[in-house]
Amino acid sequence: MKKKVLAILLAVSCMGMMMTGCASGEEEKEPETQEEVKEDAKEEDEETEAESSGVDKVLADIEKQMNDALGELPESGKGERIGILISSTANEFWGTMKTRYEEAGKELGIEVEVFEAAAEDDSAGQLDALQTMIPMDFDAIIVSPIDGTNLIPGIVAANDAGIPVINLGPGVDTDALKDAGGHLDGKITVNFEEQGSTVANDMISRMKDGGEVAILSGLEGAGQSVGRTNGAKAVFEETDGIELVAAQACDWDTEKAYEATKDILTAHPELKGIFACNDNMALAAVRALQEMENKDVMVYGVDYTSDAKTAIEEGTMMGSMTYSSTIYTKAAEEMAMLLAQGKTFDAPVYLPLTLVNQDNIADFDGWR
Amino acid sequence: MKKWFSRYSQQIFLFAVMMLICIVLTVQSKYFLTWKNIRNILEANSYRLILAIGMTFVIASGVMDLSAGAMVSMCGVIMAVGLHAGLPAGAAVVLGIGTGMAMGAINGVLIHYTGINFFILTLAASGMLRGISLMITDGKPITRFGQDFIFLGIGRIGEMQLSVIFAALLVMLSIPLMFHMKWGNYVQALGGNKDALEKSGIHVGGLRISVHMFLGVMAAVTAVIITARLNSAEPNAGMNMELDAITAAVMGGTAISGGRASIGGTVLAVLILGVIRNGLTLMSVSSDYQQWITGFLLLLSVLISEIRVRKTGTLMK
Repeated sequence: MKKKVLAILLAVSCMGMMMTGCASGEEEKEPETQEEVKEDAKEEDEETEAESSGVDKVLADIEKQMNDALGELPESGKGERIGILISSTANEFWGTMKTRYEEAGKELGIEVEVFEAAAEDDSAGQLDALQTMIPMDFDAIIVSPIDGTNLIPGIVAANDAGIPVINLGPGVDTDALKDAGGHLDGKITVNFEEQGSTVANDMISRMKDGGEVAILSGLEGAGQSVGRTNGAKAVFEETDGIELVAAQACDWDTEKAYEATKDILTAHPELKGIFACNDNMALAAVRALQEMENKDVMVYGVDYTSDAKTAIEEGTMMGSMTYSSTIYTKAAEEMAMLLAQGKTFDAPVYLPLTLVNQDNIADFDGWR
Repeated sequence: MKKWFSRYSQQIFLFAVMMLICIVLTVQSKYFLTWKNIRNILEANSYRLILAIGMTFVIASGVMDLSAGAMVSMCGVIMAVGLHAGLPAGAAVVLGIGTGMAMGAINGVLIHYTGINFFILTLAASGMLRGISLMITDGKPITRFGQDFIFLGIGRIGEMQLSVIFAALLVMLSIPLMFHMKWGNYVQALGGNKDALEKSGIHVGGLRISVHMFLGVMAAVTAVIITARLNSAEPNAGMNMELDAITAAVMGGTAISGGRASIGGTVLAVLILGVIRNGLTLMSVSSDYQQWITGFLLLLSVLISEIRVRKTGTLMK
């Protein structure tokens, strides 16, 4: 009996150690991020000094456009607390967004907490996270849902609690939201169709004699995937001499994208271009092409991740759609502050978009 | 007292762990111990609990069902198709439950009559069912149902969400079903000593099929809740949910070889995992930790059970 109690105590203290282990792990992380912020700030200073730098000019232009779109700037931060729900940092893009959100929060003088689901397709888990956020007294919540409907009950609950909700990026199905008796207080997004059409136009401009092209889509039904696919499809279909031979849903899954690329190339050895709806899938396509020793297919992606940047520099990828995550997150937080300060937004705010390709990548050194 | 302590050591351990986690979370986050947050934890875990209860019966009978998660998606998809074809919410639910029962029955028949290992059979069933869901939906989620149906996922009676009430009712029903009624005793005996049960004249095949049908119904109820809540039937719904259910049942003290079950243990295990998930979210800690914690807890929990078995010398069946 005594031994048993001892064993249980031991196990429980193990648990205790484990929990404190987690907590201290978190604490250790923070200064690191601050240092990073400082470094970034330093970089920024240096870059401002060198006024000729291409990237700063691009960023300044975008910020100006963005501010025009927002209409006015919020009063300086009074320690507003903003809760932010992303899909999952398993995707590098959202990992970067999380960092940018935190940096922008510091710059604006507000308190920012970022939440996420366990995986990029864990739609129920993301809703659970949103429900958890609602009693936490945030002044506004920014959500980027995994699909059009999964967060709706949580958004309705936020409406009921009087917390303004901003939708950033992938869209909430507004009709279904209305059916459920909810509403969004603001929307900031990129035009996903424009991402697809910009890539398609750039691809076509490099195909003098026309030819066959393919699309690797993301998760079926996900707003970014549908928008990018349709945007590219429309351009391909209305251009003479271009034949869209496959538009395969790969669910943002690199393994599926890799296999789909091999299958498509086996069926269409003359393929000239692949547009993948994100860079992870584009890089998987690149690996498949390398394995099949094919150097003729141009691969485009979206997100301009660090791996994609390297691939474009090395010439294995042709291009990637991007936008400034610094300005995106800052604008979303400014919007949240404006909402908390009583302003309303009736129309969505769109973020300016940019295509980085093998020709202009030199101008994007230090892009953020 | 000593005997009681020994018999329930695993559950007592779970309870102690849960209390410890709750204390840590209460200190760490001022939002943890609030009514709204507790309600959120219950709501988020209601459907996980329902599936885990179904799995507890199946494990008690000596097998496991790896197709439970795929059954959830399949039931959801079938209901969604029915709803879009104009069925009223009630009829769609009946259709979903019927689908769950039928799929459970097929699993039971295959396991009993082919004699092939349940692991292989239900793995095959999982692939086939998930495949059918994908074929029916063409890989896209089927979305937007009427308010009547959605009410089943998010509607409340008073302060409590319907899903939580369903889960509570099913737990309250399953305790007498498992421990005080013949059927439940036979189910445990099926896992504990199948030959003896057969010799005593019980139709083992029918029993096996009925246990799997029970899990099928639970999978269908799970599907009703998540489909209604997300307003969307997704072919990928319920991915790995069978593993979560097995984890909860085993962590709770149901013997993996069957013969001994604990409904209370399953409830505790589901709640612990739910509280951990909630706590990590509240503290905005990456969900990466969660998998490790789940694995670690499962290991500790079965180790405790093993120590007890070694000490008492016999496996309590």
